[in-house]
Amino acid sequence: MNEFSFLTDGVQYIIEHPNMLVMWLIGGILIWLAIKKDYEPALLLPMGFGAILVNLPLPGVIGDENTVGIVKWLFEVGIEASEAFPLLLFVGIGAMIDFGPLLSNPRMLLFGGAAQFGIFLTVTVAVLLGFPLVDAMSIGVIGAADGPTSIFVSKVLNSSYMGAIAVAAYSYMALVPIIQPAAIKLVTTKKERMIRMPYNPAQVSRTTRILFPIIVTLIAGLIAPQSASLVGFLMFGNLIRECGRLEVLSQTAQGPLANLITIFLGVTIAFQMQADQFLNWGTLLVMLLGLVAFMFDTIGGVLFAKLLNVFLPKDRKINPMVGGAGISAFPMSARVIQKMALKEDNQNHLLMHAVGANVAGQIGSVVAGGIILSFGQIFGMIG
Amino acid sequence: MDLMTLSVMFTSLLGEVQNEDVMRSLELMGKGMLGIFIVMVLIFLVIVILNKATKKKD
Repeated sequence: MNEFSFLTDGVQYIIEHPNMLVMWLIGGILIWLAIKKDYEPALLLPMGFGAILVNLPLPGVIGDENTVGIVKWLFEVGIEASEAFPLLLFVGIGAMIDFGPLLSNPRMLLFGGAAQFGIFLTVTVAVLLGFPLVDAMSIGVIGAADGPTSIFVSKVLNSSYMGAIAVAAYSYMALVPIIQPAAIKLVTTKKERMIRMPYNPAQVSRTTRILFPIIVTLIAGLIAPQSASLVGFLMFGNLIRECGRLEVLSQTAQGPLANLITIFLGVTIAFQMQADQFLNWGTLLVMLLGLVAFMFDTIGGVLFAKLLNVFLPKDRKINPMVGGAGISAFPMSARVIQKMALKEDNQNHLLMHAVGANVAGQIGSVVAGGIILSFGQIFGMIG
Repeated sequence: MDLMTLSVMFTSLLGEVQNEDVMRSLELMGKGMLGIFIVMVLIFLVIVILNKATKKKD
């Protein structure tokens, strides 16, 4: 019978490693959330399936001493060696974003800055919970509300919680319609939520649209050099979109390129979801801290708008909810704000203001990621 | 009771809190937010200048 033992070796392996069964369950939950609840299905489904895939008996997709499995190879080449996957995805995201609402109303940029507060607060909270600073900084970037940035920063800082950070980042992005209204209502009155903001967009020239991505890259690259790749690839995608000569490339970046990377990014990140690395108290805390980051990002943006209102004339007051759209979860956050505004007053249309703040948040989040990395270098965490 | 004393007294689920890390995280919070606002204000000024400079030409 011994010659047939290979048929039961796998079962024996799982019995000896019961943690893998827990990871199958977690993978199943992620797949369920993706399909049944429509929570970021493009990422959570590949991650869920990947979580099952990487928790099969070795060598499987991981490999062993003699072989390199496909998922390990994808991780080494696509993320570990160059952070290529998240950066290439940024080209696609840049090509998808229309910065027009921001360019016609640039004061919204301030909210893209203020709504990154949750990132930095979460770093401190994580440190107080006992995480080493390098992991705390990676965890804080969940508040960038931007999956590729979270993955990029946690990889560069070599955090051991990269898998949990990616799961948290994408899960909470899907939960923005639940998290943001709760956070906003916590710090605003009904009267404030009913403030109307007329929308009179200034015309934006084509020259401005073309020069904008180039100049933003220069500014970010000079002030926070670590953000050059994040900002640069985002703005490169945007330049392809706005130049008016590369429509086919723009469509390719927005569609096939972004889709291809997305398919493999989730499975590749799952490399970090091997049971022995993933199942610990730290992972649970990371999930909790992700919620803190999202909540305080929103609160930071809203409170900053309220602060500005102190100095603004009565007819130019800002609806503080718009500040909450300064997080990067684009375009979901803008839609949430619009929905909340209409709920309070069915004639109050804030969508375009919120979109302006929301795309500013996209810039703010990558700059915040770059600043975190710059400090990582100052603190001697990056070689 | 100062922050350092509080953090020393605090022992977390994951282990002892490092005072140096707490101070660095606060430094990161202050300088990080300042850095973001500086970048955002610069970009704001650039947009205003670009909008003004290209208004008539286009």
